[in-house]
Order: sequence, then structure tokens, then C-alpha cells
Amino acid sequence: MASLREQILRRKPVSAMTEESGTDTGKGELARSIGLFQLSLFGIGATIGTGIFIVLTQAVPVGGPAVILSFVLAGTVAGLTAICYAELASAVPVSGSSYSYAYATLGEGVAIVVAACLLLEYGVSSAAVAVGWSQYLNELFDNLFGFTIPDSLSNAPEENGVFNLPAVILIILCTLLLIRGASESAKVNAVMVLIKISVLVLFVVLGLQGWNSDNLSDFAPFGLGGITSAAGIIFFSYIGLDAVSTAGEEVKNPRRTMPLAIIIALLTVTTIYIAVAVVAVAAQPYTEFEDQDAGLAAILEQVTGSSTPATILAAGAVISIFSVTLVTIYGQTRILFAMGRDGMIPALFHKLNPRTLTPVPATIIAAVVISLLAGLLPIKFLAEMTSIGTLVAFLVVSIGVMVLRRTAPDLPRGFKVPLYPVTPILSIAGCIWIISDLRAVTIYVFFGWAAVALLWYFFYGRHHATLGRSGPANGGAT
Amino acid sequence: MTIVVGYGAERGGRGVLHLAAALARSAGDELILCTVVPAPWPPSPAKVDAEYRAELDRTAREAVDHARAQLAADVVATTRVQHARSVPAGLLEAAQQHDADLIVVGSSSAGVFGHVALGSVSSRLTHSSPVPVSLPPRGYRCKPADRVTRVTVAFGGSEGADDVVASAAGFGARLGASLRLASFAVRPRPPFTSGVGREGEEAMIEQWVEEIGAAGRAALEKAGGLEAASRQPELVIGRGESWAEALEDVEWRNGDMLLVGSSSTGPIARVFLGSRSSKIVRDSPVPVVVFPR
Repeated sequence: MASLREQILRRKPVSAMTEESGTDTGKGELARSIGLFQLSLFGIGATIGTGIFIVLTQAVPVGGPAVILSFVLAGTVAGLTAICYAELASAVPVSGSSYSYAYATLGEGVAIVVAACLLLEYGVSSAAVAVGWSQYLNELFDNLFGFTIPDSLSNAPEENGVFNLPAVILIILCTLLLIRGASESAKVNAVMVLIKISVLVLFVVLGLQGWNSDNLSDFAPFGLGGITSAAGIIFFSYIGLDAVSTAGEEVKNPRRTMPLAIIIALLTVTTIYIAVAVVAVAAQPYTEFEDQDAGLAAILEQVTGSSTPATILAAGAVISIFSVTLVTIYGQTRILFAMGRDGMIPALFHKLNPRTLTPVPATIIAAVVISLLAGLLPIKFLAEMTSIGTLVAFLVVSIGVMVLRRTAPDLPRGFKVPLYPVTPILSIAGCIWIISDLRAVTIYVFFGWAAVALLWYFFYGRHHATLGRSGPANGGAT
Repeated sequence: MTIVVGYGAERGGRGVLHLAAALARSAGDELILCTVVPAPWPPSPAKVDAEYRAELDRTAREAVDHARAQLAADVVATTRVQHARSVPAGLLEAAQQHDADLIVVGSSSAGVFGHVALGSVSSRLTHSSPVPVSLPPRGYRCKPADRVTRVTVAFGGSEGADDVVASAAGFGARLGASLRLASFAVRPRPPFTSGVGREGEEAMIEQWVEEIGAAGRAALEKAGGLEAASRQPELVIGRGESWAEALEDVEWRNGDMLLVGSSSTGPIARVFLGSRSSKIVRDSPVPVVVFPR
């Protein structure tokens, strides 16, 4: 039996990964075809979106009008972590989630922690997004047909409801599509991104009418602590930027293109977010944000005094958030699939339906769990859990970059972090800063979750890992 | 010439492989065994699905290799894994890339043995493919050296039917098979109360048979240039109260294939199974080919 230390540190050999992904069967070498412009657009498209539709209601009561600075802070940290992630991704010749990269470079113990974080980044964020969707759906129903789904069926128990039914219905619909093997074409995806951007631009342009400088007079009522706490919630809206990092093998001249594309995407997205935030906080006193459902639509209705723009915004949100939920649940099931293949979780999770070639059990299990989260938990908590999961995952990645520079200095890397070691250190510091100002309950729950993951690893994962059963570190574990 | 053969990753029946082998043998064509797997989502956020995609590729590769192993050894065949948004789309892309002139897919496993049954894939193909689509009846088998010896074209006498006969003649010539023209007179008996008697429709059917026979002969003459001169095409009429009866009324043997044209209301230059064709296809005891208009 391999010692616990050996198990925790064992890494998935890269050769095994290339074999699994069919890299040597001729399809592995991807042509370097993505340029700076394309990569930046890709990053913008992957990042911009849902967070901004729901995050202001949660963040403004915490940070006041100074959430504008929170966006800058969250964006900067997101950019730094994305650059670090790009180095780790480029050190492993196959693509995958940060779980796969961690497994190949930093060992099984770290991989399981990253996996636990990814379950938050994907699973819990799907729940958060679905809850946001239910708010906009209600707004849309109200404006179009004059009725709303009763609070008891559209709110979490903590918010005077019983169960958030619309959110669960959205998750069920996405699950059915995923089980059937649906996907979204490039065109549909582009349209979704356009809808999101147009809706945000609409908000900024019309919302400007409601500009009232008085609302900004008390700019930072909660001080620096409020700004960082809000940044913790807002970080959620930068998820997706890391997608750029994993495109390394297809990017022309990655050393130059990669950081530039991340910065361009970041600047564009942050500019749009800040424009939205400025207009929103100037339109109403920061105290009014609390408990405002479908925030952007509500502000727009109040400013214009007409329900039409709010209806358009709500409709855009309902359509585009659907697509985001579909993509995040898809991601979640595929991460579970990879973990199942590695033996970290039961084999059930990598069972494919032979006809549709989709991992049906994994999809159903993920959907049930996500539905329960979405139905029973308030959006603020979900958003914070998503943020902390993502932040810790990238904290680990940033530390990993530094560790790997020491332990494997000769490993070929397609992309190296500029200004080493300043960038990873700043990235680590930024993550810790934001995490430390999250609500205590979020941090406790996160530690609890991480403990569950490690216990799971201790009692199940390390004995069942595929590596331990067939790999060189075979110690007779079954 | 190439024939694209769709083979499901779930390792569907052998009928499609037997039919493909018979076609390839007769025409001296090359087969492309193709398994379609879902394409990665185009913008692939964060590529979280790398392991999943690798597994799909492996499954598909195994399926297509399994198909090759099942296939008669005397047939030239290559294998290919196609990434596409759906199975029919993948087969059409493969057909386009290889400039194929026929797509062969299996009958739905939900169908009845001995009959052609359209499933989700074949349904879509028989309503959109720009190249002919061929399907075996469920459970179709042929012997290792069997060829297609005779093609029967379903002739309805409608506008565009001449073109179908011409393409069928060309198809038959390529396979080295003889040509036969079949028309189906389907007429339920009149109700007892109509007062015309049980055989009241007979006269009308006779009239129709005469007309369709003349039209058929004319069509054959027009297509005559394409047909090997030595063979005299036959002309048969199947009668019955239902399509199933009418199709059974015609004599069928091993090595037969049934050819049907596309609906004249469908898009041009595409396969589009019409209402009558789909009834013929459903009741056909032999493999069918649907031609584009």
C-alpha cells in the first residue's frame, strides 16, 4: 500500500493523459490559428454576462457606491490569476479543466482540493445563475402578463419563500437538453453574447437619465472593508476569463498574445461592468439595492417610468441566462466525468449512454444537487460560495505556478508568467485579501466543504484512484 | 466512387454492414465507415470537457473498428470518426468531404423485423440529404459474396418520375444490376352500401394500370440510353387494398433493391421522402434507396 504521502503527491503522468485524449492519434497537434483579436473576443464572450445581472443587488448594500472600485479590484485579481493559470495550462500538453492541470503537475491531494473548488465554481454557480434567472422571469411575467409567481414558490426559505420553483424548472430543462446531447452552435453562442452586451448597453444609455449625483455623495460608507467584501461577491461576474488561459495550444505567439488578450478582455469587460455599476448607483441611493429582485430591470423601470425598457432587459436576461446555465451545468458534468475516470468518485459518474454519448447518471445527479441548492438557498450565499471556490482554485493555481518553477524548472512551458515572481505573488495576495473579507459564514462553509472533500479523498479517493490501481505507484490498493 | 456508411457508437445491427458490403461489391466502390460523435462546443469555455471528449473519441474509434471487423473482408473500407453537432449532420459532412454518392444507414432498432424502419437519423437524412440514402430492412442479411442483381424503381407516373427512372437506370447500370419498373395500385374495396358492388373499382384500376404502363414504357425508353442494351427492363404492377399488400403482390428475390424518388413538393436537389414513398419504404421487404429530386 502506497503511503498517504505518496498518494497525495502522485501525479497523473502526462503520457497517460495524451493517450486518453488521443493526442498521438494524429488529432492532438492543434494548428496555432487563434490571433490576438479572436482570443480577446473569445475572452469577452466567455466572461461577460450573468454575474452583472444579479451581482449589484448583493454587492451595493455591502460596499456602497464604491462598488465601482470593487469591480476594479475583482477584475485585477481575476486578470492576475488568469495569467498564472495560463502558465500552468501551457505546461501540460493536453487541455482540460484546472483539475486536470493540477493532477498532472501538483499531485492528487491538490487536485482534489481544486476539484472541490470547481464543484463550487460550476455547480454552485449554475444554482446562483438559475436563481437570478427566476428573478428576471418573474419581472418579465409581471410586465407582460401582470402576474408574478408567488413568493413562496420563487424565493428561498431564508427570503420568506418555500422553494424557488422557476430556478429548478430551468435546471430541469437544461438537464433534459444535456441528456439528449444538445449543444450550442457558435452562431447561437455569438447571438447570446450580443444579447447580453446589447441589454447592458441599453441599461447604461437609458439609465443615464436617472443620474443623480447626490446618490454618490456618500461614496464609500463602509470603507475599504466594504469595498473588498463587495469585490468578493463581484468576483463571481469575472468567472469565464480563465477560459482564455486554456486556449494556449491554439494561440499564435502565446507569449505575447496570451497576456495581451487577457488584459484586453479584462479591460473591455470591466469597462462595461463599471459603466453599468456607475449608472446603477447614481440612479438610486445605495440603501435601496437590498432585496431588489431583478435589479437592473427594476432600476430601469424606476428611471424611465415606463415598463417597456425593463421588459426588454428582462427578456434579454431570461434568454441569455438560460444559455449560461446550460454551459455551466455542461461543464460540471464533464468535470465529474473526468474525476470518475480517475477513480476519485464512483464509476457511475463516467458512464456514458451509448446512443447519445452523454454521461446521463452524472448529469442527473448534478442536476438534483444543483436544483436543491437553487431551490433552497438565497442568491447572495450562492454567489459568495461560487466566488470563494473560484478564488481558492486560482489561489492554488498561483501557488502551483511558483512550486512548479522550483520542482520542475526544466518542464517545457508554452507560456511563462511575465514579471515572475511578482505576478503570482500579487495574484496570491489579491486572492487572500478578497477571501478574508468575505462573510464569516461563507468562509466556514467553504472550510467545511473542503474538509468533506479531503475526508472523501482519505476514505475513498486514494484507495480507488485509477493511478494507484494500474500506475507505477501500484501498492495493491483495490 | 465512395459510399458513406453510418455506424452508431452503440454498435447497431449488422444489417447496414451487410447492405453496404453488397453495394460495394456490386459497384466496386470504396466504403467509408463513419461513426459520429458530438462535436465540442465551439467556444468551449475553459475546455473543461477534455477527458470527456477523449472518451468519446475512444468509444467511437472502437465502434468503427468493430464495424470494420464485422464487415466482409473482400470489401475495401476505411474508417473515420466524424465530429458533428448531430449524427445526420456528421454523415452529411462526411459524404461531402469524401464526395460520396451514397449514404447507407441502418433501420431503426424500434422497427419490425423484415421491414425498413426510419429512426431519428434516417428520418432526417431521407428528408434533407443531397445524395441518395439507402436503408436495409431490419435484420437484413446477405451471404458473403452476394451482390445486388436487380433494382426495382417505384414508378408513380407523376411529374419528375421520368428523372427517377433515369437515375435508377444509371444506378442499376453502375451496380451491374438489371432494371425493373414497379407501380402499385392501392385501392380499398368500396363500401357495401355504395351500390357499385364489390368489384366496382376494378374498371378504374384497369384503366390506371393501362395508363401507368404506357407512361412507364415511355420513361424507360427515355432512359434507355443509360441502360445496358442487352437487358430488357420489366414492368410489374402490384395490386392490393393496402400498400403492404400491393408490395407483397410483386415478386421479390435475393439481391433485389427498391428505389424511390423524392417528393415533388420537397426542396430541389435534395432527398425528401414524400407520403407515398414513405409508405413504400415502410413496407419494402428489400433494401431501399431514396433518390434526390
